[in-house]
Amino acid sequence: MVDGSVLEIDGVSKRYGDVRALVDMGFSVRPGELFGFVGANGAGKTTTMRIVLGVLAADSGEVRLDGRPVDAERRRRIGYMPEERGLYPRMAVGEQLRYLAELHGLSAGDARRSTERWTERLGVAGRLGDEVQKLSLGNQQRVQLAAALVHEPDVLVLDEPFSGLDPVAVDVMSEVLRERCAAGAPAVFSSHQLDLVERLCDRVGIVRDGALVAEGTVDGLRAGAGTDVVVDAPQARPGWADAVPGVVTSRTEGERTVVTLEPGADDQPLLHAALATGPVHGFSRRRTTLTELFRHTVADHPEAAPESPEEAA
Amino acid sequence: MSVPRPLRTVALIARREFLSRVRGRAFVISTVVILVVLVGYALFVGSLGAGSSGGRAVAVAPETAALVPALQAVAADQGRTVTVVPVPDDAQGRQRLAAGDVDAALSGSPARPRVDVDQSLSDDLQAILTPATARAAQEQALTARGVDPAVLTTAAAGSAPVVVAARPEDPAQGLRIGLGAVGAFLLFFSIQTYGAMVAQGVVEEKSSRVVELVLATVRPWQLLLGKVLGLGAVGLLQLVILGAVGLAVAGSAGLLVAGVGLVGTLISVLVWYLLGFAMYATIYAALGSLVSRQEDTQSVLTPVSIVVLIGWVVGFNLVLSAPRSPALTVLSLIPPWSPLTMPARVALGGVPVWQVALAFVLTLAFTAGVLLLGGRIYARSVLRTGARVSLRSALRD
Repeated sequence: MVDGSVLEIDGVSKRYGDVRALVDMGFSVRPGELFGFVGANGAGKTTTMRIVLGVLAADSGEVRLDGRPVDAERRRRIGYMPEERGLYPRMAVGEQLRYLAELHGLSAGDARRSTERWTERLGVAGRLGDEVQKLSLGNQQRVQLAAALVHEPDVLVLDEPFSGLDPVAVDVMSEVLRERCAAGAPAVFSSHQLDLVERLCDRVGIVRDGALVAEGTVDGLRAGAGTDVVVDAPQARPGWADAVPGVVTSRTEGERTVVTLEPGADDQPLLHAALATGPVHGFSRRRTTLTELFRHTVADHPEAAPESPEEAA
Repeated sequence: MSVPRPLRTVALIARREFLSRVRGRAFVISTVVILVVLVGYALFVGSLGAGSSGGRAVAVAPETAALVPALQAVAADQGRTVTVVPVPDDAQGRQRLAAGDVDAALSGSPARPRVDVDQSLSDDLQAILTPATARAAQEQALTARGVDPAVLTTAAAGSAPVVVAARPEDPAQGLRIGLGAVGAFLLFFSIQTYGAMVAQGVVEEKSSRVVELVLATVRPWQLLLGKVLGLGAVGLLQLVILGAVGLAVAGSAGLLVAGVGLVGTLISVLVWYLLGFAMYATIYAALGSLVSRQEDTQSVLTPVSIVVLIGWVVGFNLVLSAPRSPALTVLSLIPPWSPLTMPARVALGGVPVWQVALAFVLTLAFTAGVLLLGGRIYARSVLRTGARVSLRSALRD
């Protein structure tokens, strides 16, 4: 059913008055791929997702599914979780999920079965007859996730799906995401929890000021960003490593110095320089975390993205 | 699939709106309240009529007894009855008055009697006493000049103005006015109530943010149309229930007069309701989409509510007081007010067909414009949460 679904965002631009929210935004998500979408607040993640769902219209560019522009019919196959959570507060959980499933084109019978299956899976099956507003916030989040999945979508677009979830729900959510991808669905999700993104995603895109500034596997981004070496040389003076060939930056963390080397640079000259300052108690390469990669990417451009009012809305 | 997708979506939305309202307590309560109001109104009007035809009782002292024939003759002329209670003297007359047995106690000269009353002389009794005393005075004067008072009575008996009406009043005019007033009230109530519900529903979707989830699979026009249809159907159901109960009550009370055009009135009320509701509900939905919080809904709806209220209050009063006035005719031809006033005029009868047709066409055109503009405003502002969206920015670009 989902074989071959590719989600492509191609050259999408969007302005709000004088604010350029998206500038030639583009990336594609292959079948069975989990794509992590990270960026500061106001960078354009939510705007991109809203455009994918047709909730907002792009000024230019195109969103394609299976190589065809996304129309109403294709859009029904997308499961969406908006950043601003929302359900009908005075409607019962079961009735609400069935309604949303039917709006996405399921028959009444399929909608009922799917509602039962997902509420069972997400642990809210006992609350089918309760109004949403009577549920705890955690359970409302689970219903929200069920609302994104109840029509058995072939594509997932989830805006901050982990925010506000308890650890158990985070595990369920991660499991569901992996499972949908294993079934061949492309999935995009945005998150500020970069450790989660690093752990879950096949590929990551970093957004800044409405454009994708880095894209690839975490390992690939890491390779491009150079290597961090942690040196424990207590007698070294600040700035001792700056003149060593291959060093990009160095900073002190307590007694230790963290030195970033150019991609592919030899670390032995650094070791010699360290030994020249006195005793060396430690010298180790450190895997760059996504958080550090993200910080580097954003720090390259000091003009931090201002939060546009539309993004906050 | 036999039904096209977009329409099936609209039907799903309409069904949700309809079911969630009809199953709610508010629907049952409001239906019962209107029924009580309408029945109360009918009883009130009925009691006014009953009160005016009730008889009066007066105590008459012996020296005033000469007034009695004139009193009863005048009362008979006016279609009223006056019960005369003879008393031995004026003091006893006042006692009967204090006991509440009589409405007035007469004593003294028949031409200038003293009238004792509890607080004030009632209008109908005054209307009988004044000509009766005048007549007693005339008879006294004629008798003093040796003329038989019977001459006067005979002469007066044959006199009467002959009235020729250019447009004879319909004998069922009262019933027609009542029908028109009730129809106008029902339309006003339904449009206000269910129109406001459309706005509330729009704001609820915005404030709970569920609108983004829905609009990810539904076009704004489908959501708007489904809402208007669903709530319009709720209002229609209520109108039909009220109409049916009203007809049953009127039938059992023997108020139904053949040829008054009850069925025609009902149909015209329903048709004008559909048109009026489509128009106002769209306006309300568009205005509702401008705000994000339930507290702001009222302020944004007020200007239109006032337009509706003016149309109804002015129209309702004209229907009752001046059903054939040019003011009512003009009011019923202006689109925002046609649905509120034209059905009442139709109930009154005698409306030229061209006026009904003109009002209908104008309202239809106006509604089409409202749908176009309102749908545009709605689609542009329904996703803009936060501060109130100005009408101008909702319409720009």
